[in-house]
Amino acid sequence: MKQAVIGVVVVAVLILRLRSRAKRRTAGPKRNWSGLGPFTSDVSLVAAREMRERFRGRIFRVGTLLVLAGVAAAIVIPTLDKGTSQPQTVGLVGSLPARLRAIVVSSADSAGTTVHIVSVNEETAYSDLRSGQLDLVIVAGREIVVNKPIASTDTSTTAELVQAVARQLGVAEAVAAAHLTPAQSAALASAGALPVRSLQPGKAKGATHTTSLIGLILIFVMLSQYNTWTLIGVLEEKSSRVIEVLLATVRPIQLLTGKVLGIGLVAFTQASIIVVFALVLAKGVGSDLLHGTAPLEIVSTLAWLLLGYGFYCWVYAAAGSLAQRQDQVQSLAFPLSLPIIFGYIMALTAVGSGSPSTLFKVLAYLPPTAPFAMPVLVGLDAVTWWEFLGSVLISLVCTVGVARLATSIYRRAILRTGARVKLRDVATSGAR
Amino acid sequence: MAGLLELDGLSRRYGTITALDNLSFSVPAGQVVGFLGPNGAGKTTTMRAVFGLTDLDAGTVRWLGVPVGQAERRRFGYMPEERGLYPGMLVGEQLEYLGRLHGMSAIDARSATTSWLGRLGIEERVRSKVDALSHGNQQRVQLAAALLHGPEVLILDEPLAGLDPSGIDAIGAVLVEQARAGCCVLFSSHQLDQVEDLCESVTIIDHGRLVVTGKVDDLAHSGPRRLVVRVEGDRDALWARGLTGVSISEVDAGAARLVLDDSVESEAVLRAAMTAGRVTEFVFRRRRLSEVFREALA
Repeated sequence: MKQAVIGVVVVAVLILRLRSRAKRRTAGPKRNWSGLGPFTSDVSLVAAREMRERFRGRIFRVGTLLVLAGVAAAIVIPTLDKGTSQPQTVGLVGSLPARLRAIVVSSADSAGTTVHIVSVNEETAYSDLRSGQLDLVIVAGREIVVNKPIASTDTSTTAELVQAVARQLGVAEAVAAAHLTPAQSAALASAGALPVRSLQPGKAKGATHTTSLIGLILIFVMLSQYNTWTLIGVLEEKSSRVIEVLLATVRPIQLLTGKVLGIGLVAFTQASIIVVFALVLAKGVGSDLLHGTAPLEIVSTLAWLLLGYGFYCWVYAAAGSLAQRQDQVQSLAFPLSLPIIFGYIMALTAVGSGSPSTLFKVLAYLPPTAPFAMPVLVGLDAVTWWEFLGSVLISLVCTVGVARLATSIYRRAILRTGARVKLRDVATSGAR
Repeated sequence: MAGLLELDGLSRRYGTITALDNLSFSVPAGQVVGFLGPNGAGKTTTMRAVFGLTDLDAGTVRWLGVPVGQAERRRFGYMPEERGLYPGMLVGEQLEYLGRLHGMSAIDARSATTSWLGRLGIEERVRSKVDALSHGNQQRVQLAAALLHGPEVLILDEPLAGLDPSGIDAIGAVLVEQARAGCCVLFSSHQLDQVEDLCESVTIIDHGRLVVTGKVDDLAHSGPRRLVVRVEGDRDALWARGLTGVSISEVDAGAARLVLDDSVESEAVLRAAMTAGRVTEFVFRRRRLSEVFREALA
């Protein structure tokens, strides 16, 4: 949670600085006729327009619904699978004492299922096993027979039940053979396992694994979508020539800041809707989405979504100012999306393996790939708070540098018409 | 110094091309000033320079004696040559947005939007998207965007281009009305007849340099005398060809527009015409703006 607090503080400081600058400008001697206040500064006006137009757009509404549907499926389907596990039918060949029957029932409970115990003779037991009418057969309390071998990695309900029953009946038999007193037997039966601590982080599993995947997909989809919106938004203003009307009134830095801020707030709003929806749904259906390091990872995902957008949006905006027509969007966006795709694939690999490589840890400190790598490290509990903070600071510093460079390119290229502007031309020319 | 937009020594080069070459002129408030010049003369660059849309190598733009900055530009209205509006945005919301960027409150911007759309005859399109409008109506919206905030200076690049006569009349009337209200109006156009009708003054530039500036009436009465003579039966004004000290400016349906040197007596011209046939028109005319333009650039 410390990281979240730090992230909020950093964003708040940036907003206050922007508002402070706008206030200083609007308080100039010639502005007394306008009566503008800090809340209606140019940046906020531009940002508000961006937000209004994006929220109103069909892409936002349909996109949000599609993502929500995907998240709902990812959360609900596993719980449906768990909740609908069929009762297991256990065939008994010969007799089984009541205390051992009770062990079978309790084993089923620990395997997340229920059992229906039927007595069968040995001849029909095996044919019923093959036909699937029986899930397992206990022969005289001494042997368990199943239709197919059970692998150690098998996580099906039947496999877990078989392993639990085999283990518990074995223990019960050993206890009986040891001729222990009832008190000793009870103490042995209630013995818990010692806690196990590993020096290396283990593989991501269960809830954390799911959270990591949802978070990664969310960051990838939203960074791709909103950065492309930024590029297209800048290009739209240039190609429709409205840019000339706008820049006759506001400064390029104000226009660009308002645009990326507005689109960024739309992205954050959409991400927040998705996260809140996921959390409420997870709680409603009894998903274990919030177990382990998952809560911290959710906060980290939102923070890095903002940081990632903050870094990339300037680059995409500068690219948009170089273009002239819509058909140039693809060729401009593709090279910019390569580090995003690379970071995404590396993060997926790390989540799958559960053991981040040294290269992956390095990527967590590079602003283009950190939005993918760092939340995964948080999910794997493989990063300290100060390492996290260090990566955030590196990202913020680099974002400031990128923003300055992008603004310079934007200022020089946005009013150029004709052929697509090349970076070389921008570098060798003056502004406008 | 009140109500004067001054452009002082503007210079701008693009590589080997000189767009503006020490260009200086002023636009007084209360007048419609036509800004003329052939294609590539530097008109658009000049107008963009007023709004800081092109960097100047030298020169200053001043309003009320103060170098123009962002605060001053907010009180200016601009209609660029390449019309610029968000194509997918509603007309009303777009105008309100642009008005607010000029410092208007939301209520004032909404009120002004309603007022100007009504004034320009497109109030029913307030909920239309811009790209659903005809060219003429888009032009009206663009003009409304320039006027919405009650600008002190109005600079319009080719505002009449592509308009039908009723559109020209509507926009022309607005420009004159703005000037009468004390606004400083500068607009460029290649439609010299309209410019002559609308403007009190004109400024003509070529190759980024000032060629002529002055009141339309003064320019019309300056230069050689213009004589319009119509001789019945001679639609090509063959009678006037070869007259010493007389050049034919144009022939329109048999009416020859003649330019007389100072040494030429009009009586001599009349005699030559009467010799050729029955004279049905013989009248002195003032110099047209198109003639001022052509002669200035000759």
